[in-house]
Amino acid sequence: MSSYDHAPIVEMRDIEKHFGPVIALNGVSFDIRPGECHCLLGDNGAGKSTFIKTMAGVHKPTRGEILFEGKHMDFSSPRDAMEAGIATVYQDLAMIPLMSVTRNFWMGREPIKRVGPFKFMDFKTANDVTMHEMRKMGINLRSPDQAVGTLSGGERQTVAIARAVYFGAKVLILDEPTSALGVRQTANVLSTIDKVRKTGIGIVFITHNVRHALAVGDRFTVLNRGKTLGTAQRGQITPEELQDLMAGGQEMVALEGSLGGTV
Amino acid sequence: MSSSGAAIDERIKQTSGLRKALIRPELGAIVGTIAVFAFFIIFAGDSGMFNAQGVLNWSTVSAQFVIIAVGACMLMIAGEFDLSVGSMIGFAGMSIAIFSVTLGWPVWMAILLTFAICIAIGAVNGVIVVRTGLPSFIVTLAFLFILRGFTIFFPQLIERRTIIGGISERAVGDWLAPVFGGKVGGPIFDWLASQGLIAVFERGTRAGEPIVNGIPMLIVWALGLMIVAHIVLTRTRFGNWVFAAGGDAQAARYVGVPVARVKILMFMFTAFCATVFATCQVMEFGSAGADRGLLKEFEAIIAVVIGGALLTGGYGSVIGAALGALIFGVVQQGLFFAGVESSLFRVFLGVILLFAVILNTYIRRIITGER
Amino acid sequence: MKAAMKKLAVSAVAATALMGAGGAFAEGERYVLVSHAPDSDSWWNTIKNGLALAGEQMNVTVEYRNPPTGDLADMARIIEQAAASAPNGIITTLADPDVLSGPIRAAVDAGIDVIIINSGTPEQARALGALMYVGQPEYDAGFAAGQRAAGDGVSSFLCVNHYISSPSSTERCQGFADGLGVELGNQMIDSGQDPSEIQNRVMAYLNANPDTDAVLTLGPTSADPTILALNQMGLAGDIYFGTFDLGGDIVQAIRDGVIAWGIDQQPFLQAYLPVIVMTNYHRFGVLPGNNINSGPGFVTADALDLVAELAGEYR
Repeated sequence: MSSYDHAPIVEMRDIEKHFGPVIALNGVSFDIRPGECHCLLGDNGAGKSTFIKTMAGVHKPTRGEILFEGKHMDFSSPRDAMEAGIATVYQDLAMIPLMSVTRNFWMGREPIKRVGPFKFMDFKTANDVTMHEMRKMGINLRSPDQAVGTLSGGERQTVAIARAVYFGAKVLILDEPTSALGVRQTANVLSTIDKVRKTGIGIVFITHNVRHALAVGDRFTVLNRGKTLGTAQRGQITPEELQDLMAGGQEMVALEGSLGGTV
Repeated sequence: MSSSGAAIDERIKQTSGLRKALIRPELGAIVGTIAVFAFFIIFAGDSGMFNAQGVLNWSTVSAQFVIIAVGACMLMIAGEFDLSVGSMIGFAGMSIAIFSVTLGWPVWMAILLTFAICIAIGAVNGVIVVRTGLPSFIVTLAFLFILRGFTIFFPQLIERRTIIGGISERAVGDWLAPVFGGKVGGPIFDWLASQGLIAVFERGTRAGEPIVNGIPMLIVWALGLMIVAHIVLTRTRFGNWVFAAGGDAQAARYVGVPVARVKILMFMFTAFCATVFATCQVMEFGSAGADRGLLKEFEAIIAVVIGGALLTGGYGSVIGAALGALIFGVVQQGLFFAGVESSLFRVFLGVILLFAVILNTYIRRIITGER
Repeated sequence: MKAAMKKLAVSAVAATALMGAGGAFAEGERYVLVSHAPDSDSWWNTIKNGLALAGEQMNVTVEYRNPPTGDLADMARIIEQAAASAPNGIITTLADPDVLSGPIRAAVDAGIDVIIINSGTPEQARALGALMYVGQPEYDAGFAAGQRAAGDGVSSFLCVNHYISSPSSTERCQGFADGLGVELGNQMIDSGQDPSEIQNRVMAYLNANPDTDAVLTLGPTSADPTILALNQMGLAGDIYFGTFDLGGDIVQAIRDGVIAWGIDQQPFLQAYLPVIVMTNYHRFGVLPGNNINSGPGFVTADALDLVAELAGEYR
């Protein structure tokens, strides 16, 4: 595991986040190193969304510290976090289905070509780069003009990931990328994660599916009721133990018995 | 968009170039335009509709629609509506009349000031929509009434009437007025007339002059606005932002597209188009009336929808909207030449609208893979 | 695409049927009447009927055209269009000389005979080179009505204006005020076109100004709801009530004594006479030497029967 030779890119220490009287996060510690896939697991309502939004600069932590490449960081907007190299691929907000793959890929960062005093979007470059980047991720587009709506859910996630990678993400936060996908598409997305990890990018993979996490994860952190229940290395933990941790332990044992261990 | 030279996966079905060329947002409008022209060539071919005078007549009407449709199209693609376009036309015309005739200021100053006021009102529309998150439908509906009310109130207060004339006299010798009310290509038409190719006046002070003596600036504006808007929308970064803002504002914001600014600018552009319409009309007819521009907002939206744009935003084409406007204008004027009872105009319009929307929905499904 | 063509064919058949109904080309003359009225204005039905009857009697083709929303700029286009289709004559209103004089003059210069009806003045018609003017000068009609009301002891009034954006409406109210010898001031209200709004505005005004002597309405659109308003307030027959133009309810109200008089500009003549005049001019070269005033005629409770029978159709 070469990634442990490196210092963490992002380190979050004892993060607390309060929304009025509600304590959403109550002391969460988490770090992500280059080239690893760090899975963040938790049941619905465990605080996963709040946590990644804090990391992505949407929320400001109430207490605690965020270190980026060893330095204290204070993100005031998602834009700041993005500039620094933290890219987030949200489950539903990734793509605009009516627009072409190229237009989606370059949205907000369109390449410019000057003709006299006028600035035009450089579609030649944009199309070539899009096709190339998508091929690297294992997707052969019919044409860069193809609307994103014609792609499958997994392919859309892949476009979003390829976009984040191309624009220099150091840390890629994936919010439940597999939750709405079928088996084959899930496999495609997981293999994309593997490809991206090999380029030295740190991946934060949020999921509540233990199987998906174990398939690609290097480390696993479980969130329950706004707290981290600890981090485990690959090979140190069984799927059953992870499942129990997520559900908060005891009662799951009883439940699982009644369901014949299928959950 | 040219397709890149990328290697193509043999598993993916190749679409023919023809099919690709056909499947465009404006396809419905192209089919409609051909159908409408075919219809009128058959039923009104010898009625004067296609002589110089007739062509100019429906071109002018269509050009009016094009000017407001281009603005409405860009705004609709950015995900918003403007129902105050018609009232803005009345308001802008009245503003020019009051500044130039009642207050006696130079016409160029009246025009520039009116543009500034109307674009500012467009910005106010936009800011309210963006800040409050209210549907633009409601916000601009409010402005429909506010602007129309002022358009009736001010001239009544100042001049005790609702039509102010005399702008033509004030505009003589003005440097800016001909940009909106002038004509171009006069010598060409003089030559055509001298060759006996187009009709001339038979009597009166203008006997011997061609009846059609130039192309109104209205048409030049329509073509200019259409071309500029089309290039901006399809070829620039800003155009991409317009699509993104209407397609999914949240997703666009997330990747750093300044959605609020894009939407406000589009409201301002729509107001600009309405003001161009009003200025051309006022300069041509020499008077401003409180009832000018009634229902024009719906005519603009209909043209845009015929042109293939999606009412919910994020999808559409300026060329399509312009063709939609052409269909609208040709049908409106052509039914007269075909001798059809004028009250049936609305029936035809409804049929065309329905037909266009169904066809466009079908085309869009093919393009986007919606199911 | 196939569906499109089919639909087109169907509409084409419908269109042909309608064109057939337009009229026979017996002598070949074709006249177009262009009005400024929106589709919703029922008063113009009399004009349409007068036009159709004249077309039938003279054996000529007649067409009625109007801007659907009443937008005068659209009306200008319709006149240009009519000129482009090269008819023998155009009969048009002159609702706004600024907007319409250009297209009308162009039509005259292109060799098409024009008669101005309804709105406008004889002077404007002459200036445009039209053959003649057939109608009722609005200000004069209002003035005559005002003098009549003054003779009946009226000194203040309410003018219910349902088409305030047209200058001729204001002229009617202004003429009435001048005929009375009072300032128009705030005595004219913009009632809008909606019947219940008109009714409520009239009631609101009369409640706020209880010493109003008289009500003047400008046509059936404003008169009909005003009758209802007066009935509801118990003022019907008590307050002095005059109106421009006639319609079914107005005639009944005159009979009931609610309305003292209706100013009949006899719109039938405005459509009928121009067709007769122009057809004879084109066939035999004869033309009356003057303008024709179709009104004002004051319709009162005396001799109302014929009017009542034909109200809304030919009267």
